[in-house]
Amino acid sequence: MADGTTFKIDGQEVTAKPGQTILQAAMDQDIYIPYLCYYPKMKPQGSCRACMVEVEANGRTMTVASCTTPPMPDAEVATNTEAVQDLRKNVIELLMTEHPHGCLTCHRIELCGPQDICQRHVTVTDRCTICPKNERCELKDTVRLVELDLRTPLNYHRRDLPIHADDPFYDRDYNLCIVCSRCVRVCDEVRFDTALTLTSRSGVALVGTSHGTSLLESGCEFCGACVDVCPTGSLTERNYKWEKAVAEVTTVCTNCPVGCQMIAEVNKFGKVVRFKGDLAGAANNGQACMTGKFGYEYTNDSARLKRPYIREGGILRKATWDEALERIKQGLSERVASELAVITSPRGSNEDQYTAAKFASSVLKTPNIDSALNSNSALLSRLEQRLGAGAATNPIWDLENSKSLLVVAGNPTEEQNVLAVPAKKAVREGAKLVVIDSRETELTRYATEWLRPKPGSEALLIAGISRAILDEALENKDFVGSRIENGEELKQSLWTFDLAKVSRDTGIEDAQIRRAARIFAETEAGAILLGNDGLNAAATEHLVDAVVDLAAITGNIGKVSGGIFPLFQGANTIGARDMGATPGENGLDIAGMIAGMSTGAVKAALVMADGVSGHSPTLTSLPSALEKLEFLVVSAALDSEITHHADVVLPAATYAEQNSTVTNVERRVQMLRVTAKTRHEEKTGWETIAAIGNAMGGSGFDYSSSSEVFAEIAGNIPNYTGMSHEMLQSGGVQWPATSADNDSSVLFADSSSLVTVVTLDYDELAQSIENTALTFAPGRVLSQPERDVVVRKPADLNYVDREQLVQIHPDDAKSASLNEGDMIQVKTDDDHVLVRGRAVFESPQAGLVGSTTLFGELATRMHELDAADWSPQMPGLGYSAVILESAPVEQEAGAAAD
Amino acid sequence: MPTTFEELQARAAKRWDELTSGESAWIRVGGGTSGQAAGADAVLDAFKISVESTGVNANVSMVSARGLMYLEPQVDVLMPNGSRVFYGNVEPEEAQAIVEQHVKNGEPLIDRAFAYSGGDGSGVGNLPELSSLPMVALQQRIATRNFGETDPHDLLQYVANGGYQALNRALTEMTPEQIVDEVKAAGLRGRGGAAFPAGVKWSFLAPSTAPVKYVLCNCEEGDPGAFNDKGIIENDPHTLVEGLIINGYATRSTHGYIFIRTGHELPIESARKAIAAAYEAGLLGKNILGTDFSFEMEVSLTGDSYVAGEETALMEAIEGKRSTPRFKPPFPAAAGLWQKPTNINNVKTLAYVPEIVRNGSDWFKSIGTETTSGTAIVCLSGHITYPGMYEVPMGMTIRDVLEKIGGGVSEGERIKVLQAGGPLNGLLGEEAFDTMIDFDAMSAAGASIGSGGIIVGNETTNVVDLLRSLIAFNQFESCGKCFPCRLGNTHMLEILDRMCQNKAKSADLALLERVGTSMKAGSLCGHGQLGFNPIASALKYFGDEIQSCLAGEIAPGGVYGDGTMILPTRTRP
Repeated sequence: MADGTTFKIDGQEVTAKPGQTILQAAMDQDIYIPYLCYYPKMKPQGSCRACMVEVEANGRTMTVASCTTPPMPDAEVATNTEAVQDLRKNVIELLMTEHPHGCLTCHRIELCGPQDICQRHVTVTDRCTICPKNERCELKDTVRLVELDLRTPLNYHRRDLPIHADDPFYDRDYNLCIVCSRCVRVCDEVRFDTALTLTSRSGVALVGTSHGTSLLESGCEFCGACVDVCPTGSLTERNYKWEKAVAEVTTVCTNCPVGCQMIAEVNKFGKVVRFKGDLAGAANNGQACMTGKFGYEYTNDSARLKRPYIREGGILRKATWDEALERIKQGLSERVASELAVITSPRGSNEDQYTAAKFASSVLKTPNIDSALNSNSALLSRLEQRLGAGAATNPIWDLENSKSLLVVAGNPTEEQNVLAVPAKKAVREGAKLVVIDSRETELTRYATEWLRPKPGSEALLIAGISRAILDEALENKDFVGSRIENGEELKQSLWTFDLAKVSRDTGIEDAQIRRAARIFAETEAGAILLGNDGLNAAATEHLVDAVVDLAAITGNIGKVSGGIFPLFQGANTIGARDMGATPGENGLDIAGMIAGMSTGAVKAALVMADGVSGHSPTLTSLPSALEKLEFLVVSAALDSEITHHADVVLPAATYAEQNSTVTNVERRVQMLRVTAKTRHEEKTGWETIAAIGNAMGGSGFDYSSSSEVFAEIAGNIPNYTGMSHEMLQSGGVQWPATSADNDSSVLFADSSSLVTVVTLDYDELAQSIENTALTFAPGRVLSQPERDVVVRKPADLNYVDREQLVQIHPDDAKSASLNEGDMIQVKTDDDHVLVRGRAVFESPQAGLVGSTTLFGELATRMHELDAADWSPQMPGLGYSAVILESAPVEQEAGAAAD
Repeated sequence: MPTTFEELQARAAKRWDELTSGESAWIRVGGGTSGQAAGADAVLDAFKISVESTGVNANVSMVSARGLMYLEPQVDVLMPNGSRVFYGNVEPEEAQAIVEQHVKNGEPLIDRAFAYSGGDGSGVGNLPELSSLPMVALQQRIATRNFGETDPHDLLQYVANGGYQALNRALTEMTPEQIVDEVKAAGLRGRGGAAFPAGVKWSFLAPSTAPVKYVLCNCEEGDPGAFNDKGIIENDPHTLVEGLIINGYATRSTHGYIFIRTGHELPIESARKAIAAAYEAGLLGKNILGTDFSFEMEVSLTGDSYVAGEETALMEAIEGKRSTPRFKPPFPAAAGLWQKPTNINNVKTLAYVPEIVRNGSDWFKSIGTETTSGTAIVCLSGHITYPGMYEVPMGMTIRDVLEKIGGGVSEGERIKVLQAGGPLNGLLGEEAFDTMIDFDAMSAAGASIGSGGIIVGNETTNVVDLLRSLIAFNQFESCGKCFPCRLGNTHMLEILDRMCQNKAKSADLALLERVGTSMKAGSLCGHGQLGFNPIASALKYFGDEIQSCLAGEIAPGGVYGDGTMILPTRTRP
C-alpha cells in the first residue's frame, strides 16, 4: 500500500492515508475544520460547504470543499484565511435564514428556560431552548466557530411544517432541517433501506419519505441510524426527547447475539436517556436496530423491582435479602438433583452464567441448567462438534466483502439485525445472495435466487447444492485435497443425492438448485448465514452437517469473508455455553425443563428472568409450567408473567448497572459498563447467585467484584485464558485469544488445520421433511411498493391498514374447496386463527401457505406494548401446521345496527 | 441491409436522384419544432391532398427546418428542371394554388415567394436568389448544412449529401489517435459553454484500457432562448449520430448515450429514429462497416431539470438517480457514468466532427478566429425582426448578427439589452455590441457564447425585471444540493423582488453582491458558481438603471414587477 500523501494543514505536516480526503486527514490529526454534511464512515457529500479551505498546490490557489478533495502532495492547506472565514460565515449566514436561530449566538442559549422572558425578543417557537437537541447541536458549534453576527439583513423563512410525531419511536421536525441529507444517505448507503429521500429541489429541497408517506410504508426498519447522524433537532428519539445527558458510557446492547457496542447517554439522575450505536464498535460499526436503539429504557422504569419479595399466604410481601435467602435455602435444599432446575438469563453476563453453572453443579448438584433462549441449541452444539466452536467462524464485518451469501432458515434482518447490515452491503456492491427459506423475509427482496423448499427439506436441498457443485466440478479442489480429512468419502456419499430426487423431495426445480450451486461455488468468498427456524434437533443437526460440508467443498472455511454465521437467539447464549451454563450429563435443556415442570418431574427452580418473557416465541409455555412448581425463585428487573408464580422474587440489576462481560456471535468478549449505580437493593446475576450459594453453604462464592469472577473464568475456561476486564476496556477480544493483539478473528485460518466433514445419508436427511398437510410460513418485509397501503391515524399513532393476502397453492385450494379471491382464514389445529385474508395462488409449493405483513405493523405494535421491556416480545416468523377454510362473513357494524 | 459503405452510398445516390432529378417535382415542407409549431403539419397535409386531387407528379415530404423561423411554415418547390422557389408563412389554404399554378402549370406564385435557387433563373420575376439574402449569405453552414434540404428521418438522404463518409474514412483509413489529433488540430472547442478543447478532452479518455467506456452527448439544453442543440437533433440527427460514433471510435469507447431532456419530444423521436436507422444500416452495433469496431448507442432521458445538463448530474440522471452534481475529482474521464471512464460532449461539438474528419482540420481551422475556430450557431429571439437559428463564422460581431442577419428591431426603436448564453451568463448593453462572437472576446465583455442563445430586448425592456426573471429561473432550477446555491438564489430573488416593488434599500446592492460572491466561491457546480453573472454584468452595463431602482425611482419604460416575467419561468416558494 502506498504511504499516503504528505502535505501541510496550517503549516502542520500531515500524512493522509490512501483514499482520505483533506478533512479526514485533518480529523485524524485533531485539526478542526467545521462540517455539517460529512459524517464518519459515510461517503462525502460536499453539500454544506462549511468545510471550505484554501489549497495552494502547483502554483495555484483554490478554494475547495475539504470533505471531498483528496490532498495533493506538498499542498499547503489553509483552514482559516480571511477569505475562507468570510466564505464560511456567509454560507452559514445563508443557512441561518431557514433555521430558527434567535438563540444561536446568545450566551444564554443553554441557560434560559423555554418560557423565560427574552430581552432579545426571540419568539418562543424559534428558541433553541425548546429544541430537543439544544445541548448537543452540531449546527450550534459551527455557528459559534464562525462567530456569526446574526443581525442579518436576509429574511428568515420558517418552514412552518407539521411535526411528524405519529410514527413509532422517533419524531421528525423538518422545520429544523438543514438538508445536509445525512439521514437520507445513512438510510441508503449504510442501511440500504432507502426509506428516506430528498424531496423537491431548489430552495424548498428537503428530506423526508417519498411522497411524504408514513415511515410505516416507506420501508423504515426503525434502526434509528438517521436519528444518530442528524446534526440538528430534526430527528429525535421520542422518549426522553428533551433530556440533557451529563455522561456518555460505552457499553453493549444485550438484546441479541450481535452485541452492538453502544453509547449510553446518562442524565444527572442516572437514567439512560439515549442509546446510540458506537462508531468504534467492532461488531456494529456504529449501527443498531429497533430493539437496540429504542428498547433500552426498561432499566429506567419506575416499576423496577426494588427489593426482595416473599410469598406468604398467597401474596408476595416485601422482605429483606436475608429473609429471602433463608427462604430460598429452605426451598432449594434437600431436594433430589433431578427435581431442580436453573434457568439463566439470555442477557446474563459471562460472570452470571459462570456463577450459575458453578452453583448448579457444586451447590444444587443438578445437571439441569440452561440459558432461557438456548432452545435451538442443536445449531450451536452441532456446529461446535463439527468445527470446534459453536459460534461464527468469521467476524461479522467480513461479510461486507463476501462475494456470495447463502442465508438458510433464518431471518437475520429482524433477529440479528446488524449482522445483516454488512451482508446487505455486500449484495449492494454486487455479491450474489441465495436465500433458502419458505418465508418471505426482507432478504428475499435482495436475493439473486430465492429457494422456497418444503419445510424441513433444507438440509436435503443444501446437500443437493453440494451435489450439483460436484456435478459441474466446481468444488475447490485445492481445499478438498489438502484441508479436508475425508473428502473422498463425502464425495462418495454426495453421489447418492440424485438431483431429480432432491428436486422432487424439496419442491425446488433442479435448474434452480444448479443456479444456486454455481453462484455459491463460482464466487471468490462465500459466507453462510445459518439458522434453524422451524427445524427440530435432528433436522438441525443434518442441516449443520450439510452446510459445513458445503462450506468445506467450496473452500469457504478459514477464508476471510467466507465462513459460517449461526443465527440464534439470546444476547449471551454463546457466553452461557462457554461458561458451562448448559445441561450437564443427563441434564435437562430448557425445553426439557419446561416439560419437566409441567409433568411434575421438576419441582423447584431458580430463574434469572432478565430478558425472559412468556411472550418470547420459544417460551410461550414457560409461565404455565412455572405455575406447577413447588418452589420458584425468580431474579427479575420487572414484574412479569415469570414472577407471578414465584415464591421468592429477587430484584435484579440490568445491563446498565453492572461491569461485566458478554460474548457475541463472532466470539467477541465485550464489556458492559455501569451507567448508574443501582438505587435500591438490586443485585447483578452473579451477586444474586453468590449470595444464594453462600446462604446454602456453598464454597467459592466469596467474590468481591465481577472482575474477580472474570479472573476465575480466565483461569478455568480455556478459550478465555489470558483475558481480563482490564484487557477488554479498549474494545472486545475474540476468543480464543490470549492477548488483545492476538488475531483469532477467522477460525481455521491456519492453512495446516484440517476440517473434518461427515458423510450424508439421503434417507436420514429426507426424514426431516414435514409431512403435515399444510404448513403456514408467515413472511414480513420492510416494504411492498407494488401493493396499496393505507395508513390510518385513529388517535396519536399511525397504523397500517391494508388488505391481507394469503398465498396458497391451487392444489391446496382445490382440496379445501376454495377459489382464488375467496376470503379465507388460516387456522391452527387448536382453532387459533393466524391470519384472515384474500386467497391468491402465489404459493410455489403444495402444502405451503404464506402471508406477508409489513415491518411497520410490527413496529407500531412494539411501540404500543405496555411492557417496559418489550424487545423479548418481538414475535418471530414461526411455522405452524394449519388448516384452510372460508372466512366467516363479517357483519358490518352498520348493517347490524339497522 | 447493405453490406458495404459503397452499396449504401449507391442506394443513397439512387434515392436522391429520384427526388431531385427525376420526372417529379419535390415539394418540401419545413418541419422541426419551429415549423410544426407554426402549422407545418396542416400545410403538409394540404399539399398532399392538393397533389392528389390535382393529379400532378410530385413528391411531398416534410424536411428539416431551414432556421429562418420568421418565415415558418416554409415550403419550397423543386421542379424537374432544377428550379426551386421558396415560399414563406404558407397557409394550408394556399397549397391548392401553389400546386396548380406552380407545380402543374410551371408558374410560381412570385408574390408569395421570398427567394429562388437553381434553374436558369427564368420565370422567377424579381425574386432574389436564396444565397443572396443577407441572413443566408452571411451564414457558413457546417453543422446545419442539411437544414431545409433533407428529410431528417431518411438516412439515405443524409448519406447522399456526404453523410457517414467521415465515419467510413475514420474507420478504414485512420487510427483513433489520428482522429484525436485531427480534432485537436482543428481547434474545436466545446460548444456546451465551457469552451474546453474537445480533442484534449478526448485524449483524457482515449488511453484508458477499461473494458467499458462511455461517450455521452448532452442535449439537456434548458436555457431559455437556446434551441440549436434541439435544432440539430430534430433537423439532422445523423450528423450527431455520426459524430458520436467517431467520438466513440477515437476514444475506443463501447457505448454512447444521447441524453435529452424529457419534454423535448421531437428531438427524442428524431434521435431514436436515427439510431434505429443507423443500426439497420450497419453503422452501429457489432463490427461497424465490417471493421473490428463495435459501438452501441441509445437515447437516455432525464426528468424536467435544468441542472441535469451539468455533466455529472447528467450521469446521475442516466443512472436513475436524483440529478444532482457530483463533486470533482474524480473527473468523468476517470470515473464517470456508472463509475466507468466517460467523455461528455455537447451536441454542437459532435455535430462538427464529421465535417472536420471529412474535410480536414486545416479547413476547419481556417474558419473563425485565431482562438476559436469554426462557427457559432446563434439562436436569435426576443425583440428582433428575423428570429431564427443562424450558423455564422466565429469572429462576426454581435452588431452584424443583430442588424444584418436579424434585421434589427422595428423602425425607430433601439436594441437596449442582450441576454447572451443562457441565464447563468451575462447581459450585454449597447457598448458591447461590437464584440466579436468568439469565446474569449465574449467572456471579456462579461457574457458568453454559452449555449448560443441571444435574447434581444428593446427599450421597453426593464433590466431589473429581466434580472428578476433570470434569477427566478436559476432559483427554480437549482438542484438544492449545495447550501450556497440552494439558499443564495432564493435570497437574490427576494432582493430583486423587493427592487421590483420599489421597496429596496441602497444597502441591498451590497447584500446581493455578498450573496453572489459566496455562491461563486462556495457552490458545488457551475449553476451556483455562475449564478451571480447576470447581476454582475447588469451592474457593468446598466448600473445607472439599477441604482435608480434602488433609489426608489420609477422604472424607465413602465413599472417594475407587475407579476409577469419576461421569460417563461416558474418560481418555487
